[in-house]
Amino acid sequence: MTQELSTLMDGELDAHEAERAIRTVCGNEELKQKWHDYHVIGDALRGDGPGRTALSRRIMAALEEEPTVLAPKRRIPVNAGRIAFAAAASVATVAVVGWMGLQQGRVPENGPAMAKGSPAAQPAALASTTQPAHVNEYLVVHRQLPNADFYRPVSNTAAAGR
Amino acid sequence: MRGLAATLPWLALAGAALPAVAAPGNDPLAWLQRAADSARTTTFAGTVVHMTGERTSTSRITHIFLSGSEHEKIESLDGPRREIVRHNEDLQCYYPDAKTVRLDRRVTARFFPAVVAGPVASIAENYTVKLGEVERVLGQDCRWIHLDPRDALRYAQRLCAELGSGLVMRARTLSRKGQVIEQFTFTDLRMGPHVSRGEVKSTFYGQSKDWRTDTQPRDEVKEVDTGWTVTALPPGFRKVKEMARRMPGRDKPVSQIVYTDGVASFSVFVEPVAAGARVAESTQTEEGDLSVFVGPVGESQVTVLGEVPPATAQQVGRSVARRP
Repeated sequence: MTQELSTLMDGELDAHEAERAIRTVCGNEELKQKWHDYHVIGDALRGDGPGRTALSRRIMAALEEEPTVLAPKRRIPVNAGRIAFAAAASVATVAVVGWMGLQQGRVPENGPAMAKGSPAAQPAALASTTQPAHVNEYLVVHRQLPNADFYRPVSNTAAAGR
Repeated sequence: MRGLAATLPWLALAGAALPAVAAPGNDPLAWLQRAADSARTTTFAGTVVHMTGERTSTSRITHIFLSGSEHEKIESLDGPRREIVRHNEDLQCYYPDAKTVRLDRRVTARFFPAVVAGPVASIAENYTVKLGEVERVLGQDCRWIHLDPRDALRYAQRLCAELGSGLVMRARTLSRKGQVIEQFTFTDLRMGPHVSRGEVKSTFYGQSKDWRTDTQPRDEVKEVDTGWTVTALPPGFRKVKEMARRMPGRDKPVSQIVYTDGVASFSVFVEPVAAGARVAESTQTEEGDLSVFVGPVGESQVTVLGEVPPATAQQVGRSVARRP
Protein backbone atom coordinates (compact mmCIF):
# COMPACT_ATOMS: atom_id res chain seq x y z
CA MET A 1 0.00 0.00 0.00
CA THR A 2 2.92 2.31 0.76
CA GLN A 3 4.08 2.05 -2.81
CA GLU A 4 0.59 2.72 -4.10
CA LEU A 5 0.48 5.80 -1.90
CA SER A 6 3.62 7.23 -3.42
CA THR A 7 2.43 6.37 -6.92
CA LEU A 8 -0.75 8.22 -6.05
CA MET A 9 1.31 11.21 -4.98
CA ASP A 10 3.09 11.06 -8.31
CA GLY A 11 -0.28 11.22 -10.01
CA GLU A 12 0.57 8.07 -11.88
CA LEU A 13 -2.45 5.97 -10.95
CA ASP A 14 -5.35 5.89 -13.38
CA ALA A 15 -8.69 7.24 -12.22
CA HIS A 16 -10.01 3.85 -11.13
CA GLU A 17 -6.87 2.88 -9.22
CA ALA A 18 -6.66 6.34 -7.67
CA GLU A 19 -10.23 6.17 -6.43
CA ARG A 20 -9.60 2.78 -4.86
CA ALA A 21 -6.34 3.90 -3.28
CA ILE A 22 -7.93 7.04 -1.86
CA ARG A 23 -10.80 5.04 -0.40
CA THR A 24 -8.31 2.71 1.29
CA VAL A 25 -6.27 5.62 2.63
CA CYS A 26 -9.30 7.45 3.99
CA GLY A 27 -10.49 4.35 5.80
CA ASN A 28 -7.21 3.77 7.59
CA GLU A 29 -5.77 6.07 10.22
CA GLU A 30 -2.23 4.82 9.75
CA LEU A 31 -2.32 5.42 6.00
CA LYS A 32 -3.88 8.82 6.50
CA GLN A 33 -1.01 9.74 8.77
CA LYS A 34 1.45 8.40 6.21
CA TRP A 35 -0.16 10.43 3.46
CA HIS A 36 0.15 13.49 5.64
CA ASP A 37 3.75 12.64 6.52
CA TYR A 38 4.66 12.30 2.86
CA HIS A 39 3.41 15.77 2.20
CA VAL A 40 5.25 17.16 5.18
CA ILE A 41 8.37 15.37 3.96
CA GLY A 42 8.01 16.85 0.52
CA ASP A 43 7.35 20.29 1.96
CA ALA A 44 10.25 20.09 4.35
CA LEU A 45 12.61 18.95 1.63
CA ARG A 46 11.62 21.81 -0.59
CA GLY A 47 12.32 24.07 2.39
CA ASP A 48 8.72 25.18 2.74
CA GLY A 49 7.52 26.24 6.15
CA PRO A 50 4.60 25.27 8.35
CA GLY A 51 2.24 26.99 5.95
CA ARG A 52 2.65 24.08 3.60
CA THR A 53 2.09 21.63 6.41
CA ALA A 54 -1.21 23.28 7.08
CA LEU A 55 -1.95 23.05 3.37
CA SER A 56 -1.41 19.32 3.32
CA ARG A 57 -3.81 18.97 6.25
CA ARG A 58 -6.40 20.90 4.29
CA ILE A 59 -5.82 18.63 1.34
CA MET A 60 -6.32 15.65 3.61
CA ALA A 61 -9.58 17.10 4.87
CA ALA A 62 -10.69 17.86 1.34
CA LEU A 63 -9.82 14.33 0.31
CA GLU A 64 -12.14 12.95 2.92
CA GLU A 65 -15.00 15.00 1.55
CA GLU A 66 -14.38 14.86 -2.14
CA PRO A 67 -11.76 12.24 -2.84
CA THR A 68 -12.21 11.56 -6.53
CA VAL A 69 -12.42 15.18 -7.54
CA LEU A 70 -9.34 16.46 -5.83
CA ALA A 71 -6.84 13.66 -5.88
CA PRO A 72 -6.24 13.09 -9.58
CA LYS A 73 -5.66 16.81 -10.01
CA ARG A 74 -3.11 16.96 -7.24
CA ARG A 75 0.19 17.20 -9.02
CA ILE A 76 3.35 16.66 -7.00
CA PRO A 77 6.73 17.48 -8.48
CA VAL A 78 8.45 14.33 -9.66
CA ASN A 79 11.17 14.38 -7.02
CA ALA A 80 8.66 14.61 -4.18
CA GLY A 81 7.15 11.34 -5.38
CA ARG A 82 10.51 9.72 -5.35
CA ILE A 83 11.05 10.94 -1.83
CA ALA A 84 7.75 9.52 -0.75
CA PHE A 85 8.73 6.21 -2.26
CA ALA A 86 12.03 6.32 -0.47
CA ALA A 87 10.24 6.89 2.82
CA ALA A 88 9.56 3.18 2.97
CA ALA A 89 13.26 2.43 3.17
CA SER A 90 14.96 2.56 6.52
CA VAL A 91 18.12 4.48 7.20
CA ALA A 92 19.91 1.21 7.66
CA THR A 93 19.38 0.17 4.07
CA VAL A 94 20.91 3.43 2.95
CA ALA A 95 24.03 1.84 1.56
CA VAL A 96 22.39 -0.89 -0.51
CA VAL A 97 22.13 1.33 -3.54
CA GLY A 98 25.11 3.16 -4.87
CA TRP A 99 27.97 0.88 -4.02
CA MET A 100 28.53 -0.37 -7.51
CA GLY A 101 31.76 1.57 -7.80
CA LEU A 102 32.97 0.26 -4.50
CA GLN A 103 32.11 -3.31 -5.38
CA GLN A 104 34.55 -3.23 -8.24
CA GLY A 105 37.33 -2.26 -5.92
CA ARG A 106 37.54 -5.24 -3.64
CA VAL A 107 38.61 -8.79 -4.17
CA PRO A 108 36.36 -11.20 -2.29
CA GLU A 109 38.19 -12.79 0.58
CA ASN A 110 36.20 -15.99 0.39
CA GLY A 111 37.53 -16.99 -3.02
CA PRO A 112 41.29 -17.44 -3.19
CA ALA A 113 41.11 -18.34 -6.89
CA MET A 114 39.16 -15.19 -7.55
CA ALA A 115 41.70 -13.14 -5.70
CA LYS A 116 44.22 -13.64 -8.45
CA GLY A 117 41.86 -12.40 -11.13
CA SER A 118 41.32 -8.77 -11.94
CA PRO A 119 38.49 -7.12 -10.00
CA ALA A 120 36.67 -6.35 -13.23
CA ALA A 121 36.53 -10.05 -14.06
CA GLN A 122 34.53 -10.91 -10.96
CA PRO A 123 31.07 -12.25 -11.52
CA ALA A 124 28.69 -9.43 -10.70
CA ALA A 125 26.58 -11.58 -8.40
CA LEU A 126 29.51 -12.48 -6.20
CA ALA A 127 30.70 -8.90 -6.00
CA SER A 128 27.30 -7.59 -5.11
CA THR A 129 26.85 -10.03 -2.26
CA THR A 130 30.26 -9.26 -0.82
CA GLN A 131 30.64 -5.51 -0.82
CA PRO A 132 27.27 -4.11 0.22
CA ALA A 133 27.06 -6.52 3.13
CA HIS A 134 30.47 -5.42 4.34
CA VAL A 135 29.66 -1.72 4.19
CA ASN A 136 26.08 -2.08 5.39
CA GLU A 137 27.14 -4.02 8.44
CA TYR A 138 29.72 -1.39 9.28
CA LEU A 139 27.15 1.35 8.81
CA VAL A 140 24.79 -0.38 11.19
CA VAL A 141 27.58 -0.83 13.73
CA HIS A 142 28.78 2.76 13.32
CA ARG A 143 25.36 4.28 13.85
CA GLN A 144 24.15 1.59 16.27
CA LEU A 145 21.02 1.36 14.21
CA PRO A 146 18.12 -0.81 15.25
CA ASN A 147 18.20 -2.73 12.01
CA ALA A 148 16.32 -6.00 12.01
CA ASP A 149 18.37 -7.21 9.04
CA PHE A 150 21.40 -7.10 11.23
CA TYR A 151 19.76 -9.10 13.96
CA ARG A 152 22.12 -11.92 14.90
CA PRO A 153 20.69 -15.08 16.33
CA VAL A 154 22.92 -15.81 19.29
CA SER A 155 22.98 -19.55 18.78
CA ASN A 156 23.34 -19.56 15.03
CA THR A 157 25.77 -16.98 13.71
CA ALA A 158 26.18 -18.85 10.43
CA ALA A 159 22.59 -18.16 9.48
CA ALA A 160 23.08 -14.48 10.11
CA GLY A 161 26.19 -14.45 7.98
CA ARG A 162 24.18 -14.25 4.79
CA MET B 1 9.17 44.74 27.91
CA ARG B 2 11.56 42.74 25.81
CA GLY B 3 12.44 40.56 28.77
CA LEU B 4 8.83 39.80 29.47
CA ALA B 5 8.11 38.87 25.88
CA ALA B 6 11.01 36.46 25.89
CA THR B 7 9.93 34.85 29.16
CA LEU B 8 6.28 34.21 28.41
CA PRO B 9 6.58 31.57 25.69
CA TRP B 10 9.30 29.90 27.69
CA LEU B 11 6.93 29.43 30.62
CA ALA B 12 4.13 28.25 28.40
CA LEU B 13 6.27 25.62 26.73
CA ALA B 14 8.42 24.34 29.50
CA GLY B 15 5.66 24.06 32.06
CA ALA B 16 6.48 21.70 34.89
CA ALA B 17 9.51 20.13 33.24
CA LEU B 18 11.72 23.15 33.61
CA PRO B 19 15.03 23.06 31.84
CA ALA B 20 17.75 24.45 34.05
CA VAL B 21 18.94 26.80 31.34
CA ALA B 22 18.23 30.49 30.99
CA ALA B 23 17.62 32.40 27.77
CA PRO B 24 21.11 32.92 26.38
CA GLY B 25 21.07 36.43 24.89
CA ASN B 26 23.30 36.92 21.88
CA ASP B 27 26.17 34.60 22.66
CA PRO B 28 26.27 31.91 19.92
CA LEU B 29 28.16 29.47 22.14
CA ALA B 30 25.56 29.85 24.89
CA TRP B 31 22.88 29.00 22.31
CA LEU B 32 24.84 25.98 21.20
CA GLN B 33 25.35 24.82 24.77
CA ARG B 34 21.66 25.23 25.46
CA ALA B 35 20.80 23.25 22.32
CA ALA B 36 23.05 20.44 23.56
CA ASP B 37 21.66 20.57 27.10
CA SER B 38 18.00 20.77 26.18
CA ALA B 39 18.16 17.57 24.11
CA ARG B 40 19.17 15.87 27.34
CA THR B 41 17.33 17.76 30.06
CA THR B 42 13.93 18.58 28.59
CA THR B 43 10.92 16.32 28.20
CA PHE B 44 9.39 16.05 24.76
CA ALA B 45 7.72 13.69 22.30
CA GLY B 46 7.40 14.04 18.57
CA THR B 47 7.70 12.62 15.09
CA VAL B 48 11.05 13.04 13.40
CA VAL B 49 11.65 12.90 9.68
CA HIS B 50 15.22 12.15 8.65
CA MET B 51 16.30 12.84 5.09
CA THR B 52 19.66 11.97 3.67
CA GLY B 53 20.16 12.39 -0.04
CA GLU B 54 16.81 11.33 -1.40
CA ARG B 55 16.17 8.74 1.30
CA THR B 56 13.75 9.41 4.06
CA SER B 57 12.78 7.69 7.25
CA THR B 58 10.31 8.56 9.95
CA SER B 59 10.51 7.74 13.62
CA ARG B 60 8.81 8.75 16.82
CA ILE B 61 10.91 9.91 19.73
CA THR B 62 9.81 10.26 23.33
CA HIS B 63 12.27 11.71 25.80
CA ILE B 64 11.80 12.15 29.52
CA PHE B 65 14.26 13.69 31.94
CA LEU B 66 13.57 12.55 35.47
CA SER B 67 15.71 12.79 38.62
CA GLY B 68 18.81 13.47 36.58
CA SER B 69 18.26 10.48 34.29
CA GLU B 70 17.34 10.30 30.62
CA HIS B 71 14.65 7.90 29.48
CA GLU B 72 14.01 7.70 25.79
CA LYS B 73 12.04 5.62 23.33
CA ILE B 74 12.58 5.65 19.59
CA GLU B 75 10.17 3.81 17.34
CA SER B 76 10.73 3.28 13.65
CA LEU B 77 7.59 4.19 11.72
CA ASP B 78 8.85 2.87 8.38
CA GLY B 79 9.75 -0.68 7.50
CA PRO B 80 9.86 -3.45 10.07
CA ARG B 81 8.72 -2.52 13.58
CA ARG B 82 11.53 -1.95 16.03
CA GLU B 83 12.10 0.13 19.09
CA ILE B 84 15.01 1.42 21.08
CA VAL B 85 14.50 2.19 24.73
CA ARG B 86 17.36 4.10 26.25
CA HIS B 87 18.12 4.75 29.91
CA ASN B 88 21.13 7.06 29.93
CA GLU B 89 23.77 5.03 28.04
CA ASP B 90 21.99 1.66 28.16
CA LEU B 91 20.11 0.69 25.03
CA GLN B 92 17.47 -1.99 24.68
CA CYS B 93 16.55 -2.71 21.08
CA TYR B 94 13.27 -4.56 20.55
CA TYR B 95 12.77 -6.64 17.41
CA PRO B 96 9.22 -8.01 17.50
CA ASP B 97 9.67 -9.96 14.25
CA ALA B 98 12.63 -11.87 15.67
CA LYS B 99 11.24 -11.86 19.22
CA THR B 100 14.55 -10.56 20.45
CA VAL B 101 15.74 -7.82 22.76
CA ARG B 102 19.28 -6.70 22.04
CA LEU B 103 21.20 -4.97 24.79
CA ASP B 104 23.76 -2.38 23.79
CA ARG B 105 25.59 0.58 25.19
CA ARG B 106 25.50 3.91 23.46
CA VAL B 107 28.74 4.86 21.77
CA THR B 108 27.95 6.54 18.48
CA ALA B 109 24.16 6.33 18.53
CA ARG B 110 23.14 9.92 18.07
CA PHE B 111 19.49 10.58 17.83
CA PHE B 112 18.06 13.91 16.83
CA PRO B 113 17.62 16.41 18.52
CA ALA B 114 20.90 15.49 20.27
CA VAL B 115 23.04 16.63 17.35
CA VAL B 116 25.96 18.13 19.22
CA ALA B 117 27.87 16.63 22.11
CA GLY B 118 30.80 17.51 24.28
CA PRO B 119 32.10 20.90 25.39
CA VAL B 120 31.03 23.65 23.01
CA ALA B 121 34.36 25.43 23.46
CA SER B 122 36.13 22.58 21.68
CA ILE B 123 33.47 22.59 18.94
CA ALA B 124 34.20 26.31 18.47
CA GLU B 125 37.85 25.47 17.80
CA ASN B 126 36.82 23.73 14.59
CA TYR B 127 33.61 25.51 13.65
CA THR B 128 32.73 29.21 13.47
CA VAL B 129 29.51 29.48 15.48
CA LYS B 130 27.11 32.30 14.58
CA LEU B 131 23.49 33.14 15.23
CA GLY B 132 21.12 33.32 12.27
CA GLU B 133 17.54 34.36 11.71
CA VAL B 134 14.53 33.59 13.84
CA GLU B 135 12.14 31.39 11.89
CA ARG B 136 8.78 29.88 12.65
CA VAL B 137 8.87 26.07 12.68
CA LEU B 138 5.82 23.99 13.67
CA GLY B 139 4.23 27.08 15.11
CA GLN B 140 7.22 27.83 17.36
CA ASP B 141 9.84 30.53 16.97
CA CYS B 142 13.30 29.08 16.43
CA ARG B 143 16.72 30.67 16.25
CA TRP B 144 19.10 29.30 13.64
CA ILE B 145 22.59 28.50 14.86
CA HIS B 146 25.21 28.30 12.10
CA LEU B 147 28.24 26.05 12.44
CA ASP B 148 30.71 26.63 9.62
CA PRO B 149 33.85 24.48 9.59
CA ARG B 150 37.21 26.21 9.83
CA ASP B 151 38.71 23.64 7.43
CA ALA B 152 37.53 21.44 4.56
CA LEU B 153 37.50 18.31 6.68
CA ARG B 154 33.94 18.54 7.99
CA TYR B 155 30.51 19.73 6.89
CA ALA B 156 28.62 22.88 7.88
CA GLN B 157 25.63 22.47 10.19
CA ARG B 158 22.48 24.53 10.71
CA LEU B 159 20.46 24.02 13.88
CA CYS B 160 17.13 25.69 14.57
CA ALA B 161 16.69 25.98 18.35
CA GLU B 162 13.30 26.75 19.84
CA LEU B 163 13.55 30.11 21.62
CA GLY B 164 11.99 29.05 24.90
CA SER B 165 13.57 25.68 25.61
CA GLY B 166 16.57 25.67 23.28
CA LEU B 167 15.44 22.32 21.83
CA VAL B 168 16.61 21.79 18.26
CA MET B 169 13.55 21.46 16.07
CA ARG B 170 15.33 21.19 12.74
CA ALA B 171 18.93 20.34 11.85
CA ARG B 172 20.62 20.45 8.46
CA THR B 173 23.99 19.36 7.19
CA LEU B 174 25.28 21.34 4.23
CA SER B 175 27.70 20.30 1.51
CA ARG B 176 30.61 22.56 0.69
CA LYS B 177 28.44 24.05 -2.03
CA GLY B 178 25.81 24.91 0.56
CA GLN B 179 23.30 22.26 -0.47
CA VAL B 180 21.32 20.43 2.19
CA ILE B 181 22.63 16.87 2.22
CA GLU B 182 21.00 15.73 5.43
CA GLN B 183 18.07 17.00 7.42
CA PHE B 184 16.27 16.08 10.60
CA THR B 185 13.03 17.80 11.43
CA PHE B 186 10.20 17.39 13.87
CA THR B 187 6.85 17.22 12.14
CA ASP B 188 4.96 17.34 15.41
CA LEU B 189 6.13 18.01 18.93
CA ARG B 190 4.72 17.93 22.44
CA MET B 191 6.72 19.27 25.33
CA GLY B 192 6.95 19.13 29.10
CA PRO B 193 3.77 18.25 30.98
CA HIS B 194 2.08 16.97 27.83
CA VAL B 195 4.30 13.90 27.88
CA SER B 196 3.53 11.20 30.41
CA ARG B 197 6.04 8.89 32.01
CA GLY B 198 4.51 5.68 30.69
CA GLU B 199 5.22 6.77 27.13
CA VAL B 200 8.90 5.82 27.30
CA LYS B 201 8.13 2.21 28.15
CA SER B 202 8.51 -0.17 25.25
CA THR B 203 5.35 -1.09 23.41
CA PHE B 204 6.65 -4.65 23.57
CA TYR B 205 7.55 -4.64 27.24
CA GLY B 206 4.83 -7.08 28.30
CA GLN B 207 5.22 -9.61 25.49
CA SER B 208 9.03 -9.44 25.48
CA LYS B 209 9.29 -11.54 28.65
CA ASP B 210 9.52 -14.67 26.51
CA TRP B 211 11.83 -13.16 23.94
CA ARG B 212 15.47 -13.95 23.50
CA THR B 213 17.97 -11.52 24.99
CA ASP B 214 21.12 -10.84 23.01
CA THR B 215 23.81 -9.23 25.14
CA GLN B 216 26.60 -9.52 22.58
CA PRO B 217 26.53 -5.89 21.36
CA ARG B 218 26.72 -4.59 24.93
CA ASP B 219 29.56 -6.93 25.85
CA GLU B 220 31.52 -5.92 22.78
CA VAL B 221 31.70 -2.21 23.48
CA LYS B 222 34.14 -2.76 26.32
CA GLU B 223 37.30 -0.77 25.76
CA VAL B 224 40.14 -2.83 24.28
CA ASP B 225 43.51 -2.01 22.77
CA THR B 226 43.15 -2.94 19.10
CA GLY B 227 46.78 -2.10 18.36
CA TRP B 228 45.71 0.28 15.56
CA THR B 229 45.95 4.04 15.42
CA VAL B 230 45.34 6.94 13.03
CA THR B 231 48.54 8.91 12.47
CA ALA B 232 47.05 11.80 10.46
CA LEU B 233 43.95 12.51 12.53
CA PRO B 234 42.18 15.73 11.44
CA PRO B 235 42.38 18.45 14.13
CA GLY B 236 39.63 18.44 16.74
CA PHE B 237 38.73 14.78 16.38
CA ARG B 238 39.27 12.74 19.51
CA LYS B 239 38.97 9.04 20.16
CA VAL B 240 35.72 8.07 21.84
CA LYS B 241 36.05 4.31 22.00
CA GLU B 242 38.12 1.39 20.80
CA MET B 243 36.41 -1.99 20.51
CA ALA B 244 36.57 -5.48 19.06
CA ARG B 245 33.37 -6.38 17.22
CA ARG B 246 32.26 -9.80 16.18
CA MET B 247 30.52 -9.56 12.84
CA PRO B 248 28.29 -12.07 11.08
CA GLY B 249 30.19 -14.48 8.85
CA ARG B 250 33.63 -13.56 10.17
CA ASP B 251 35.86 -15.80 12.27
CA LYS B 252 37.92 -13.02 13.79
CA PRO B 253 36.69 -9.89 15.50
CA VAL B 254 36.83 -6.58 13.64
CA SER B 255 38.59 -3.66 15.32
CA GLN B 256 36.52 -0.50 15.56
CA ILE B 257 37.83 2.88 16.70
CA VAL B 258 35.36 5.76 16.95
CA TYR B 259 36.32 9.43 16.65
CA THR B 260 34.22 12.60 17.00
CA ASP B 261 34.71 16.35 16.95
CA GLY B 262 31.50 16.89 18.92
CA VAL B 263 29.44 17.30 15.76
CA ALA B 264 30.63 14.77 13.18
CA SER B 265 31.90 11.27 13.86
CA PHE B 266 33.51 8.42 11.98
CA SER B 267 34.47 4.83 12.68
CA VAL B 268 37.69 3.16 11.58
CA PHE B 269 37.28 -0.60 11.03
CA VAL B 270 40.26 -2.91 10.55
CA GLU B 271 39.85 -6.58 9.70
CA PRO B 272 42.26 -9.23 8.50
CA VAL B 273 41.87 -10.39 4.91
CA ALA B 274 42.52 -13.90 3.60
CA ALA B 275 46.11 -14.67 2.63
CA GLY B 276 46.82 -13.62 -0.93
CA ALA B 277 43.76 -11.39 -1.21
CA ARG B 278 44.29 -7.84 -2.39
CA VAL B 279 42.32 -4.84 -1.24
CA ALA B 280 42.00 -2.08 -3.80
CA GLU B 281 41.69 1.46 -2.49
CA SER B 282 38.43 3.26 -3.05
CA THR B 283 36.63 6.28 -1.64
CA GLN B 284 32.92 6.66 -2.01
CA THR B 285 30.44 9.24 -0.88
CA GLU B 286 26.78 8.53 -0.39
CA GLU B 287 24.13 10.97 -1.54
CA GLY B 288 23.89 12.26 2.00
CA ASP B 289 26.72 13.13 4.33
CA LEU B 290 28.14 9.62 4.59
CA SER B 291 31.60 8.84 3.20
CA VAL B 292 33.34 5.51 3.00
CA PHE B 293 37.00 4.75 2.40
CA VAL B 294 38.26 1.21 1.85
CA GLY B 295 41.96 0.46 1.59
CA PRO B 296 44.73 -1.95 2.51
CA VAL B 297 47.09 -1.79 5.46
CA GLY B 298 49.52 -4.69 5.60
CA GLU B 299 47.51 -7.92 5.59
CA SER B 300 44.37 -6.09 6.72
CA GLN B 301 41.56 -4.09 5.24
CA VAL B 302 40.73 -0.63 6.56
CA THR B 303 37.22 0.81 6.23
CA VAL B 304 36.54 4.37 7.35
CA LEU B 305 32.88 5.29 7.50
CA GLY B 306 31.30 8.44 8.84
CA GLU B 307 29.48 11.73 8.43
CA VAL B 308 32.49 13.55 7.02
CA PRO B 309 33.63 14.67 3.55
CA PRO B 310 35.31 11.94 1.44
CA ALA B 311 38.69 13.69 1.73
CA THR B 312 38.55 13.27 5.51
CA ALA B 313 37.72 9.56 5.28
CA GLN B 314 40.58 9.15 2.82
CA GLN B 315 43.11 11.06 4.95
CA VAL B 316 42.17 8.96 7.97
CA GLY B 317 42.10 5.65 6.10
CA ARG B 318 45.49 6.14 4.48
CA SER B 319 47.11 6.94 7.81
CA VAL B 320 45.93 3.88 9.76
CA ALA B 321 48.96 2.11 11.19
CA ARG B 322 50.04 -0.32 13.88
CA ARG B 323 50.57 1.48 17.15
CA PRO B 324 54.31 1.69 17.79
